[in-house]
Amino acid sequence: MMAKASKQQTREAKSAPVKIKINGQWHEFEPGRDIEPSMTLSFLLREKLGYTGLKVACDEGACGACTVLMDGKAVLSCMKLAVEAHGHEILTIEGLPGDDPVIKAFAEQCEPGYGTALQCGFCTPGFVMAAKGLLNEKPNPTPGEIKEGLSGNICRCGCYSGIARAVQHACERTSPEGGKK
Amino acid sequence: MKPRPYTPRVARKFIGAYRPRIDALEKASGKVQFVDDITLKSRFPGMLYAKVLRSPYAHARIKSIDAGEAERLPGVKAVLTCNDPEVKALKPTSAGWTDGVDTVSYERMMWRHYRDRRVLGDHACWATDEVGAVVAAESEQIAEEALRLIKVDWEILPFVLDPIEAMKPGAPVIHPEIAPRNILPKDTVGGKDVFVDKGDADKGFAEAEVVVEATSIHHNATQASLDNWCCLVDWKSDKLTVMSNSYEADQTRMHISQMLDLPINKVRVISSYVGGQFGRGDTGDQPFFLFTALLSRKTGRPVKFRHSRRESFHDSRQPAIYTGKVGAKKDGTITSMYFKSIGNSGAYADHTMFALKFAPTEITEVALAHIPNVRMESYGVYTNKLPACMMRGVGNSQFNLIFGHVVDMLAEKLGMDPIDLALKNFGHEWGGLPDKSLTAVLREGAKRIDWRAKRHKPGAGPVFDRVKKRGVGFSFHPAWHAEWQEARRGEIRIRITVNPDCSVVLDAPTVETGTGSNTCNVLGCAEALGFLGIGPGDIVWPHTVDTETSLKDCVQTDSAVSYLQSEVTALAALEVKKRLLEKAAKLMKTGPEDLDISGGRVYRKSAPAKGMTVQDVFRKGDMLPIVVEMGRPPAPQKTGVPYIANFAEVEVDTATGRVQVLKLVVLNDCGTVMYASGAEAQQIGGQVMGLGEALTEEIIYDAPTGVPLNFNWIDYKIATMADMPDVEPALLEVWRGAGEYGACGIGEGTLTCTPRAVLNAVYNAIGARIDDIPLKPEKILKALGKA
Repeated sequence: MMAKASKQQTREAKSAPVKIKINGQWHEFEPGRDIEPSMTLSFLLREKLGYTGLKVACDEGACGACTVLMDGKAVLSCMKLAVEAHGHEILTIEGLPGDDPVIKAFAEQCEPGYGTALQCGFCTPGFVMAAKGLLNEKPNPTPGEIKEGLSGNICRCGCYSGIARAVQHACERTSPEGGKK
Repeated sequence: MKPRPYTPRVARKFIGAYRPRIDALEKASGKVQFVDDITLKSRFPGMLYAKVLRSPYAHARIKSIDAGEAERLPGVKAVLTCNDPEVKALKPTSAGWTDGVDTVSYERMMWRHYRDRRVLGDHACWATDEVGAVVAAESEQIAEEALRLIKVDWEILPFVLDPIEAMKPGAPVIHPEIAPRNILPKDTVGGKDVFVDKGDADKGFAEAEVVVEATSIHHNATQASLDNWCCLVDWKSDKLTVMSNSYEADQTRMHISQMLDLPINKVRVISSYVGGQFGRGDTGDQPFFLFTALLSRKTGRPVKFRHSRRESFHDSRQPAIYTGKVGAKKDGTITSMYFKSIGNSGAYADHTMFALKFAPTEITEVALAHIPNVRMESYGVYTNKLPACMMRGVGNSQFNLIFGHVVDMLAEKLGMDPIDLALKNFGHEWGGLPDKSLTAVLREGAKRIDWRAKRHKPGAGPVFDRVKKRGVGFSFHPAWHAEWQEARRGEIRIRITVNPDCSVVLDAPTVETGTGSNTCNVLGCAEALGFLGIGPGDIVWPHTVDTETSLKDCVQTDSAVSYLQSEVTALAALEVKKRLLEKAAKLMKTGPEDLDISGGRVYRKSAPAKGMTVQDVFRKGDMLPIVVEMGRPPAPQKTGVPYIANFAEVEVDTATGRVQVLKLVVLNDCGTVMYASGAEAQQIGGQVMGLGEALTEEIIYDAPTGVPLNFNWIDYKIATMADMPDVEPALLEVWRGAGEYGACGIGEGTLTCTPRAVLNAVYNAIGARIDDIPLKPEKILKALGKA
């Protein structure tokens, strides 16, 4: 069913413009000129539109650095074709408000015993978006759910403890019963 | 886990704080721009993309190459091959353009006797080696397509992957002109093959009552920075500009200037943020800078070259086969130690001998000083594997794997606690025994892992779920990179500008790779300029190094930048104060000796009520900023070094062979903690790499073809959040080095002891030893006699 729908979308994309809502704005991409059937969503967002928050580090779905939200769910933009986003809503880190609680929690983490939530910062936007996706699904995740939810992302600097604390702190700020589990 | 924050030995206002990084918000919001971001095609409309041909064979030579069809492909703008005169004219080189740390010329490069690399040669020494041809095209896809159209007639040569095999007569020879038997020849930098020969090791063994011998094998792990190598070169008329994620701008500039014969001021290198480096590529001498530059000159356009993830498997830790022997009296007094290493340098020598000799030589001085007889010998061997350069704690991880092994074995044979054995024997040349720092890290580690309760006789602990056995183990190591050890760097130079409004610009250039040195520097500057009444928020620190405008950058290696620059900043701040008092003295019509400053106010010592704010000193005076530039070599006082240790608790499933690490305690005596949150992030973070090397990370080669099979992150297993145990960071301040802070680098050392701590814990759990890492389940089952 799903496969059929996406095949149909791909076929349509060859003639009609591909429409994607990105960070609140609808964009139209003309096939052949702006968008190719083989173009990944990460390529469209970074190389064509300049949304450089997401990173392409492995280009094979192994590291999560390219994570964005599609209709509120975390997706790996290197593993999605751009045309698959037709009719959908994409949110990149640039679309988050400056005072987003997850961004703030990542930036502020310095609780002793856990280190910071970032060092080189290359994986951070991917983690922030993966955390947004997780919290959309589970506003008040347990530590185990945080670990599982973010286990598609690699931080080579190894700030996993700090990241887990940051997500915990972000829930405490946003959810009334946050952090109680 | 209940966090136990450290208590600073000296209370300071900013240094040593638990606080966010200075770049935390920019990074968390994704605003930070890395080199791949600043070189988007939309920013350089005329930009071309370069792709280089890679060898499909482990060892081969190009007999002939025909790029005609590639040149005719629409969108291809230039092709260079190994037969082109501008390529052929390039000098042979090596990835060793340093004297260990800092910038040197071609003549003085550290490994000048192993100039085994051609920038774009015809000799492929490992599968995926960059050889033969490079293409510049309008897109990466076109460039890749063009590479497929290049017709290469390869002469496939026999290959060898194993260093022991490579040393045998008749083995395929990789660089016959340099190493006719694959063994790296006389090493003028690291010394003779037997590079440590203190006392008489044989006599020491004869005097011993107990002797143990062991082997340990460390493998090819890779740095795996997320930020793949990337550069953009724009060579217009006589000026060449490079943007890159190399971590030493000055050295990159020297390399390009010398290899392309350009005046230094005609080469401009800009290093923006780097997405983790961990030693990758070590120096700014990557051959791809040069062929990318030649393509830019040929096309007159900016050319971008970046590695894919597969291509980023380009550099690794030196695999080393160590044998160790230690002899002692029955009371645990060690009489003799002997270590021998055979390093697999891979296809190019790079820093192999640095890893094999420098680290152990340093350890002899700072940890084995009280052992009367020590002998060490080492051999680097060429093979057709991935070359190895610098990786976090170069050489130390490999040495620790054998060092911690023989200590644990000897303790068992003597019936001693290995902690007591260590304290009885190890310390530096300038201190007595037991070493205070070593005592502190081992005692604290033992407490936190609950050593007394959990350590049992090997394999004799309680059994969980019928098949799971637990154990604890540790390993320790001297930390390194105290100031005097950084003498190879020469002068560290910084500049402080205090503006009339008391805002400050700190020019303490170093490439920002995530280590936390930027935050240390700003905290150190705020601390040193405390008399201005300012805080870290009043200080701007430029995040980009640009060789045209910055001072020479302090190379981001050796875990040492934080304190090296902060020490100079502290001195420069004294000069700022002096100049400020001179300005104020004119206005206040008195001598500067009668004045002092505190909290942003200048006052008369004789009449403290009389004074003026620092801002008023500027506003009512000349309105000129105070600019102090200062350079200083690292302090030469030999202070020894502090110690580091890791303690591990593991659970081994004896049915499946799976090892699960339950807890890791990471201990660093820092001298002075410069920035606590950053230091903890290094301690915790280092375990991803340390546990990876211990348990899962390994490059696997296809034996019949010599082709690496897992140059991707699906099959090269890096730990995620779900894989990591609780990691408990412990910061200590016991030892003290020279200078204002007397700190020591910690970043690299956080993972040096991890593999051995885990291996010792596994032995404690199951009572069977495994000599090589990673500790894959089949090795456990084999050790248990089950496979």
